Amino acid sequence: MSRTDPEYGHLVPLLEEYAGLAPDDPRREALRDELVRGYLPVAQHIARRFAHRGEPLDDLTQVATVGLINAIDRFAPDKGSDFFSFAVPTISGEVRRHFRDLGWSMRVPRRLKDLHVSLNGAVSDLSQRLGRAPKPTEIAEYLGMPVADVLEGLEAADAYRSSSLDEMLSSEQGSATVGELVGEADAELDRVDTRQALRPVLAELGERERTIVMLRFFGNMTQTQIAEKVGISQMHVSRLLAQTLDRLRSRLDQDSAPG
Amino acid sequence: MSDRDDWDPAELTDPAAGDGSPTVEVRTTASAALIPTIRAVASDLAARADFDLDAISDLRMAVDEACATLVDVAAPGSALRCRFQVRQDRIDVSAEVEGAGVDTTVATDTFGWRVLETLTDEVSVSRTDGPDGRPVVGIVLGKSAGATER
Repeated sequence: MSRTDPEYGHLVPLLEEYAGLAPDDPRREALRDELVRGYLPVAQHIARRFAHRGEPLDDLTQVATVGLINAIDRFAPDKGSDFFSFAVPTISGEVRRHFRDLGWSMRVPRRLKDLHVSLNGAVSDLSQRLGRAPKPTEIAEYLGMPVADVLEGLEAADAYRSSSLDEMLSSEQGSATVGELVGEADAELDRVDTRQALRPVLAELGERERTIVMLRFFGNMTQTQIAEKVGISQMHVSRLLAQTLDRLRSRLDQDSAPG
Repeated sequence: MSDRDDWDPAELTDPAAGDGSPTVEVRTTASAALIPTIRAVASDLAARADFDLDAISDLRMAVDEACATLVDVAAPGSALRCRFQVRQDRIDVSAEVEGAGVDTTVATDTFGWRVLETLTDEVSVSRTDGPDGRPVVGIVLGKSAGATER
């Protein structure tokens, strides 16, 4: 160990000890806790560097701490490198991944993200209650906020195409299998006389995208009904449909190009 | 509706429309890159007219599809004109371009047309003679606000 930082120097022998313990050693947990507590200022420091990008510092510190734990678990002292030169990129990487996974541009204001979460919840509750998709005025009344705010939130949802946040909010429970869902739609597809070979292009889609396209355009289901069947939110269905149509269009254009 | 004071339909009334319904017209170069702007107008109008979320999203995708179809057959450098009429519980859209050739049409035996039929209440192709022998081809569609039990 080249680094003998007065603040962290006492942790270096602990790191070596920790790395040498068997995976089922009973001392592991206590030792790891001590290491995490000791190196926590490093994680906090890195988290602060990523603050002011729309994520609360608490969340960032938590993510950075996960990065720190990973670094402690994976550090191999016998490789001769110093812990900091291994841990700092590991922790920063974890925080960057957090931003990427959120799927939002880092410049999206927190307020809009919170609004997106509220909207999703309201849409899901209201759809169930009404048996159809709600209107902006109904969502506004349900959330006790001005319609203008709801409209802004819907616009943001369109603008940022945050599918990963939708994924987070979507329940995978109650998802029916594709076979169950698209049987009838598949028969309908056969009856549609298009001059394009649609089947091979549909086959290139992911299973969920294909299911949603089949149900919407050949199964005569609304987005809200599809959302319920597939087990994701209406807003997510809307986004997936739009993206998939875009993709299908460019694929079909290629195939049916003049010539 | 008192809190939607930022949008007064009466201000948008186009006397030329004849029936006094608020009208918005967007005219762009017939280029795929500008379609997102047009579809943003579509979904904004539908959301402000209090369409249900399925109907908003359907209209947005339908306008996207209609414009993409027309841009494909448009004469190079020509314009895409998209006119929205906001009626009671319904938005009517008419989009048109100058066709690239004398026999330019919009094909209705395609998946894209199927998409348009599914997403709208009514859709049809329009075709008139343009100024310089080339036809003006268009897609006319109507979408109701939804919110009826389906």
